[in-house]
Amino acid sequence: MSGQGPALAGFDALLGPHVTIVTGKGGVGKTTAAAALALAGVASGRRTLLVEVEERQGFSRLFGTQPWDYAEREFRPGLWGAAIDPAESVYEYLELFYGLKRVQWMMERSNALDFVTTAAPGLRDLLLVGKLYEIEARRRPDGRRSYDLIVLDAPPTGRIVPFLQAPEAVTDIVRVGPIRRQAGQIKEMLTDPRRVQAVIVTLLEEMPVRETTEGLAALHAAGIATGPILANQVTLPRLDAEALQRLQKAGADRLRACAETHGARMSGRTSELTLDLAAAHVARQQHQAGLRAQLVASGSPVLGLPLLSGSTFGVDDLEVLADVLALQAGEDGPRARERLDASGYAAVAGARL
Amino acid sequence: MSSHLDAARRGTLAGAVRDAHILVATGSGGVGKTTSAAALGLAAAQQGRRALVLTIDPARRLAQAMGLEGLDDEPTEVPLDAAHRGDGTGELWAMMLDMQTTFDRLIHRHASSPEEAAAITSNRIYRQLSSTLSGTQEYMAMERLHELHEEGAFDLLVIDTPPTRSALDFLDAPRRMTSFLEGRLLKLLLKPGVAAGRGIGKVVGAGATAFIRVAGRVTGMELLQDLADFFRDFEGMYDGFKQRAEEVLTLLRAPSSQFVVVTSAEPPPLREARFFLERLEQEGLHAAGVVVNRVRPEVPRDPTDAGLERAVQGLEADAGVLSDADDRPPASRSEELAMAGALRLLGDVRNLAARQRRDVAAGLFGVEVPALVEVPLLGGDVHDLEGLDAIASTLVTGRAR
Repeated sequence: MSGQGPALAGFDALLGPHVTIVTGKGGVGKTTAAAALALAGVASGRRTLLVEVEERQGFSRLFGTQPWDYAEREFRPGLWGAAIDPAESVYEYLELFYGLKRVQWMMERSNALDFVTTAAPGLRDLLLVGKLYEIEARRRPDGRRSYDLIVLDAPPTGRIVPFLQAPEAVTDIVRVGPIRRQAGQIKEMLTDPRRVQAVIVTLLEEMPVRETTEGLAALHAAGIATGPILANQVTLPRLDAEALQRLQKAGADRLRACAETHGARMSGRTSELTLDLAAAHVARQQHQAGLRAQLVASGSPVLGLPLLSGSTFGVDDLEVLADVLALQAGEDGPRARERLDASGYAAVAGARL
Repeated sequence: MSSHLDAARRGTLAGAVRDAHILVATGSGGVGKTTSAAALGLAAAQQGRRALVLTIDPARRLAQAMGLEGLDDEPTEVPLDAAHRGDGTGELWAMMLDMQTTFDRLIHRHASSPEEAAAITSNRIYRQLSSTLSGTQEYMAMERLHELHEEGAFDLLVIDTPPTRSALDFLDAPRRMTSFLEGRLLKLLLKPGVAAGRGIGKVVGAGATAFIRVAGRVTGMELLQDLADFFRDFEGMYDGFKQRAEEVLTLLRAPSSQFVVVTSAEPPPLREARFFLERLEQEGLHAAGVVVNRVRPEVPRDPTDAGLERAVQGLEADAGVLSDADDRPPASRSEELAMAGALRLLGDVRNLAARQRRDVAAGLFGVEVPALVEVPLLGGDVHDLEGLDAIASTLVTGRAR
């Protein structure tokens, strides 16, 4: 268990809070990781909603659906999706609190929406976080929550705390009115570890790892609970230092001869390149292990997501990733078992080989 | 197999590094813009030019490598040792952009009196504006670029754009900023009486009254009061701001200003890169080329996939049944298994390289790319001049060193 940190006991430990906020440095694969967490949520029997706030259409492309909008739609059994944007939130907010549907046309005409969502400090983020609050609080007619799990593909680590604290920031400026009242309730939700956790996604590379430790500290300082760290694109090990030694001792010519014996014609250049690749591969794994140890030292559980080496990446691969997460939380993960061998899984999970 | 990008792949950024006066590195977050910008500056210095890299938030170790710790808003020379300075006649300088300082300076320049400037810079709305009004950071980066251009101390200015939600934000920044400051709502708020908080209905139309009532109920009237004060103080400065924004755009439209679009070989940043190239064309701006970072090395096509699979199976069969008592991973237990592992690795690398190549071709399909430079995936982060030098070399030669 050297590379995993504290263990997670089952789906409830992985996805216990009502809302999982997924953040991380730009380019680390937040959207993919959020989709995998949501699929794990579905596998655990949770009614799950995936939410996008950055108007990127990342999920619709990943799942191959029509573009998403403000409406929550079930696009796979048990899995809903929505892309929320501030303009829609303004309309809904005004309608909800004031019954002011008819101001909509007037707002658009007077350019005022720009003002409301952009000029008033933090209002855009406030409206997005406010919408998240509304979804979390919503109930079905039988009293159960509308969704058991909400997974939010959130802004990157550098902006996540200001984003989540927008309601508070606005109370610094706004001293009266409903926004101030609601800000308190939103803060209550965000700082309740039974309702909200933040999950940071990272690559096992220096900069993202550093941003992860900084992000954890900033989230904790803001009173927001954090769940596991997800280390994305972990290289699947094909050989270790000992195997590399054997390979180097045998040499490129012998590799080429043995490959040819088994029906793989190979040029001298390719066999030499293979030895170089093997050396780089072993060095990379050692580098990754070192960075993983830094993450483990933060005290959070660290779960790995493998860099799947197929020549394409599709929805099937997302399901494999979801199953890899399930396995690491001690649940079953049939598709991951099918795709990863024992040493591959061990490396992804950070277990000692 | 040929691709529509073959011609672009033969191009390099050598011409841009040699001739441009301004290079703007742009692209979505996390694709290596800062490193690319620094490498462009180094490449220019190596060719005898006096180059300045303006960066936003450099990775700590990259900053260290460039001798930039504790940088402020003024340019600092990066010491280049003999191995990395080319013929030695060029210079590399770097600075960290400080948005707030730039914004404050801009206010002081356009304000009619120190009192007017002080009234604005102490307003709550102003203090939040630089971090919350989208486009402000980008606008301030362009503003600082213009200042440095006017000072005329450098042959080449390389600017690393802020990590925006979308690379396109940056092109719209000056317009959004000025249209916000000009907005009709602002005009309503500027009417006397509104600022004083009385007689709203008499001064402005009924629609605006309804809106202000709504906004007042949503946000609290004090916010509106601050906004009104801010815009009233700002009114005299608006024309100066607008003119300045136009000058900045004119500077960026000059043929000596070129854009370097930076991306990684993954679909989302490639999509941004493509949109950005299209926008540059529409706006009459000049693209120097595309830099694709972290590209996996291309692996020869031999053996065939089927041959590789046969060899892996064959070698594993030769190795016989593995003992359960031995808990080492299979590849380290025998030479055959080590070889099988190495061939599997070859297959992985080839698959991933093929995936990337297809993603790049699909992502940039149908868009004009003047030059496409692929920077290979390195073992670790770039944290010294040696690493930057290798990238600089790739950018001007098109080949990995």
